[in-house]
Amino acid sequence: MKPAAFDYLVPTTVDAVVASLALHGDDAQLLAGGQSLVPMMALRVARPEVLIDLNRVAGLSGIERIGDTLRVGAMTRQAQVIASPVVAEALPSLAAALRFTGHFQTRNRGTLGGSISLADPSAESPAYALALDAQMELRSQRRSRTVAAADYFLSGYTTAREPDELLVAIHYPIRPRARIVVDEVARRQGDFATAGLVARVECEGGRVAASALAWFSMGPGVLRSPNAEAALNGGALADIDPEAVADLAVGDTDPFDDHHASASLRRATARVLAIRALTTIRTEELA
Amino acid sequence: MDDIVLPGMLEATFVRSPFARARIVSISLEAALRAPGVRAIFVAQDLKQLPLAMFYNFGNPTSPMPVQTPLAEGYVRFAGDPVALIIAESRYLAEDAAELVEVEYDAETPVLTIADAISGPQVHPDLPGNISDDALGGDDPEIDAIFAGAAHVVSDVIRHQRQTHVPMETRGLIAACDGAGELTVYYACQNPHQAARYISKVFDLPGHHVRVVAKDVGGAFGLKVHPMRDELAVVAATLITGHTIKWIEDRVENLTAAYHAREQEMSVKLAFDAGGHLLAADIDHVMNMGAYPQGNSPGPLAMMMFSGPYRLPKLRHRTRSYFSNTCGLGAYRGPWMIESLGRETMMDLAARQMGIDPVDLRRRNLIRKEDQPYVTPMGLTMDRISPVETLEKVVREIDVDAFRQEQAAAREAGRYLGLGFAAYVEPTVLAFAGAMATESVQVRVEPTGKVVATSSTHSQGHSTQTTIAQVVADELGVDLADVTVLEGDSSRGGFGAAAGGSRQAVAGGGAAKTAAGLVRDKVKKIAAHMLNASPHLVEIKGSQILVDGVVEVSTTLTNIAEAAYFKTDRLPPDMEPGLEFQFRYRPPPMVFSNAAHACVVEVDIATGMVKILRWVVSEDCGVMINPAVVEGQVSGGVAQGIGGVLFEHAAYDDYGNPTAVTFKDYLLPQIGDVPVLEFVHTITPSDTPGGFKGVGEGGAIIGPPTLVNAIADALSPLGVRCLDLPLTPDRILGGLQQRSAIPESAGR
Amino acid sequence: MKELTIKCQVNGQAFEKTVPVRKTLLDFLRQDCVLTGAHAGCEHGVCGACTVIVDGVAARSCLMFAVQADGAVICTVEGVAEENGELHAVQAAMRDSFGLQCGFCTPGIIMTLVSMTAGEGATEDEMINALSGHICRCTGYQGIRRAVTKLAKATGEISQDDSHAV
Repeated sequence: MKPAAFDYLVPTTVDAVVASLALHGDDAQLLAGGQSLVPMMALRVARPEVLIDLNRVAGLSGIERIGDTLRVGAMTRQAQVIASPVVAEALPSLAAALRFTGHFQTRNRGTLGGSISLADPSAESPAYALALDAQMELRSQRRSRTVAAADYFLSGYTTAREPDELLVAIHYPIRPRARIVVDEVARRQGDFATAGLVARVECEGGRVAASALAWFSMGPGVLRSPNAEAALNGGALADIDPEAVADLAVGDTDPFDDHHASASLRRATARVLAIRALTTIRTEELA
Repeated sequence: MDDIVLPGMLEATFVRSPFARARIVSISLEAALRAPGVRAIFVAQDLKQLPLAMFYNFGNPTSPMPVQTPLAEGYVRFAGDPVALIIAESRYLAEDAAELVEVEYDAETPVLTIADAISGPQVHPDLPGNISDDALGGDDPEIDAIFAGAAHVVSDVIRHQRQTHVPMETRGLIAACDGAGELTVYYACQNPHQAARYISKVFDLPGHHVRVVAKDVGGAFGLKVHPMRDELAVVAATLITGHTIKWIEDRVENLTAAYHAREQEMSVKLAFDAGGHLLAADIDHVMNMGAYPQGNSPGPLAMMMFSGPYRLPKLRHRTRSYFSNTCGLGAYRGPWMIESLGRETMMDLAARQMGIDPVDLRRRNLIRKEDQPYVTPMGLTMDRISPVETLEKVVREIDVDAFRQEQAAAREAGRYLGLGFAAYVEPTVLAFAGAMATESVQVRVEPTGKVVATSSTHSQGHSTQTTIAQVVADELGVDLADVTVLEGDSSRGGFGAAAGGSRQAVAGGGAAKTAAGLVRDKVKKIAAHMLNASPHLVEIKGSQILVDGVVEVSTTLTNIAEAAYFKTDRLPPDMEPGLEFQFRYRPPPMVFSNAAHACVVEVDIATGMVKILRWVVSEDCGVMINPAVVEGQVSGGVAQGIGGVLFEHAAYDDYGNPTAVTFKDYLLPQIGDVPVLEFVHTITPSDTPGGFKGVGEGGAIIGPPTLVNAIADALSPLGVRCLDLPLTPDRILGGLQQRSAIPESAGR
Repeated sequence: MKELTIKCQVNGQAFEKTVPVRKTLLDFLRQDCVLTGAHAGCEHGVCGACTVIVDGVAARSCLMFAVQADGAVICTVEGVAEENGELHAVQAAMRDSFGLQCGFCTPGIIMTLVSMTAGEGATEDEMINALSGHICRCTGYQGIRRAVTKLAKATGEISQDDSHAV
């Protein structure tokens, strides 16, 4: 299973990357960690004419806290995020999400930006970004812009990133009051989830001030739970009925059958995850 | 295999059919031949310049079986069928060229399932039909009356999904011509001598012109026991072009176009008397053979073993096997395992139905010491087996009473724990008349005093280089470190079948022990002569030759060897020089080993996920040459059994396209999916040299029913039927919903 | 570009080769460096048989291109034992625990464990978790688990008598 031939570019600056993207457009693919792209190339399902290697580009990796935002460079390795003391202090749930992602070995090379850009509907990172209302920092020769997660993830494998744009960094809001739970059920360790959930609930004065329930493996793309969130928001924390909210949340999903799991199994599993997450959050918050 | 690099070596890849069933309308090689680095491309026609005739090494001559050719001729009969062979300077370039081969197909609706095969068009038009074997036996007129009058009858159908072997090393070979008509094939196989013989016969070459070398082989499990069509195409290409050609199968090919296994179903009816004693069994088995199977169906073996470790007075049985437009059936670790799966799951079903504890039901029926030798309804004589002893050990180790209390408490809390047992008898060695009949070992003491054993056995992870060495070392009285076992080269040593049928400990061990014994006796005679002692007082320990009771007199094995080879005047008069003996051992056709397993699981009824908490084994494989090897074999088999019950499915879509083409879809058990196995060994020696019995396949035979029974036990309060494998979360939730105890969206 | 001249260090030895850009690191190590310890078990990044250490971390060499290893420091199983032949603690633990049968998956497992036992070492749970990235078809992982127990204990805790490797 050998890849088809390609032209290889190894730029060292973001400017060089976006210039190449502008030139080659859809003929080019970006090589980040390679843990998803290279298998596709080995199977010859992906056959880029031009492969732009991001691994030597300066300034694309790094984790820093800037006030109430955690900025993670797109080429930061998943293992680096997990090991980062900055992340541990500011946003430990991000590390928790990444611990579910792939395996120890794939996390050594796999990048946060790569996962976000691929937008696999079964992946943790896009759902996490969606739940946190993260901002995606994009650059092209034309412009720099930031796109909010809700506008970034359009569907499975489809994002708002245009062919000439490079994802440079992801900005996560740090919300001190937020309780964030990441959970999934997978057939085996490291497998794509049968169902997965990132739940964020912020409380103030015993009431839910804001919430986000973002699903993975529960639809053609990652998705939020507007009905469940509406039921939560403004309500008293002690009054949360996890089962009722979970039913609403599952009702917001749109899973389909594939040979790994039926939609019915995914919904049943999702319900368990939602109940567990809401129960955990409620218990911790009331404690 | 891929480690070997030879000068001027080219690499191969195949163009394979994307259709399960189609006529090949045309093949255009023009563009591919012009691709960079391409040296030759072959299609079926091109191989006809050789006297090439494939045959079945393991086949029943009376069963209809398709003629096989290395490359598809005129028709493709499964998705993955090899159509063209590309030889190029590298695999990268070969794959580039493969994409340029244009094949026009006229696709037809494929025959995929057993049901399709029964009602649909013929897979092989030149055969009488789609059925290969159809064997009915034990049709005793009393059986219907027994069922009609029995106190208890249980009946159901067990279905096993299609799997594949997945050794971590895929298939592969390098074929090289050493001058006119002499071939060396470096071949990842289970049996170098068998492979060399087969290749020489297929290509009508003198036997000694073909040498097969197999050094380290990364697992096989039955996949590599018979040279296959695509491999023979590579050999043919070498013979035609004179080039040295390497082909390493890639994982997609390995999962879809090598061999498949296990797709079958069996209906089982058991009749019991009021006391829970088996009266009769009636089984009907059907198996999917695919398009190009490796040999005959294992159905007859399954029928033969169905009574297992129990006293079963009567057995009516029928087995039929069908061709289909899918990847062919190959022997996979315990190919007949459906007998244990069907029997042990139905025993538990019967126990539940009759309100008898499943252990107790087994106790009432197991073959006891006093029943042996026991003649089964199929006429097999079982002796030196320990079904009762192994079951009781496992029961004690698990502490069944404590578990049942724990299980009851868990149920109160809405958690579902289960305990499953299974017992079986394994026919090992399988040294029926034919290629598997004998095994040969030559033991020689070199002039240096070190010992070399040239063995016809072969390891793909079996550790025969250790176990055969142990047998020789023990028998001869030398340190293990002083024994070297040579295997894996058909030019060395005599013919043997090597790996397959759990045979090497008995067949190879028996040959090794006997040959080593002959060497030992000669050493003692020489020593006795040289030391002026009585031969029966001579001992060999750690290569020191000692005389019992006479401390001052001793010599070394090296001295004896030097006399035997160089200073022959020191030998007893009329004794031939040398210290080398070969022994070819004919073991009994079957040596029975047996085991009982138990496992504890928890089933999450909200998600359908199964977690295995504990697994206990008591196996009896006779005298164990090396307990670590025994436990390793059982563990590996159990892991494969877990894969078969929970994870692995070599599925096809409705068009005959395989859907599990990578490891993302064909799921194998990981470290977290296999529990730590606890062993309590039982030893009932066989009556073969050394007292050994086979053990290699057992874990994969008894593992699945053990796990299925545990899951069924967990779900028994909810009445869920667990007889359609694999027991994926979807199947388990589906079973729960069918019982309508739980609505679709509920979770607990 | 279609090919590139790369320089890297493998097991302390310098290599300079011109390679096609699409050649995987795995093929480069096996063919150009003639280090056949890393194995191609799947070529799509699941089985772990190709695992080597690249710049200090365990990585699947089938998922890297050789050109990406320009300037890298790589360690394969051939470079793990001492120069005098003494086995690395991971190799010794695997051998003593009967952690292999056919051996095909073994080098990859060894490299993951070598990377984890370097420096401060790792807990048993961390190592077992990391080994979910390796498929073994022969052993049922029993000996591998025992090797991990030895290695975790070796990083500082009181060791019990585990002469019964079986």
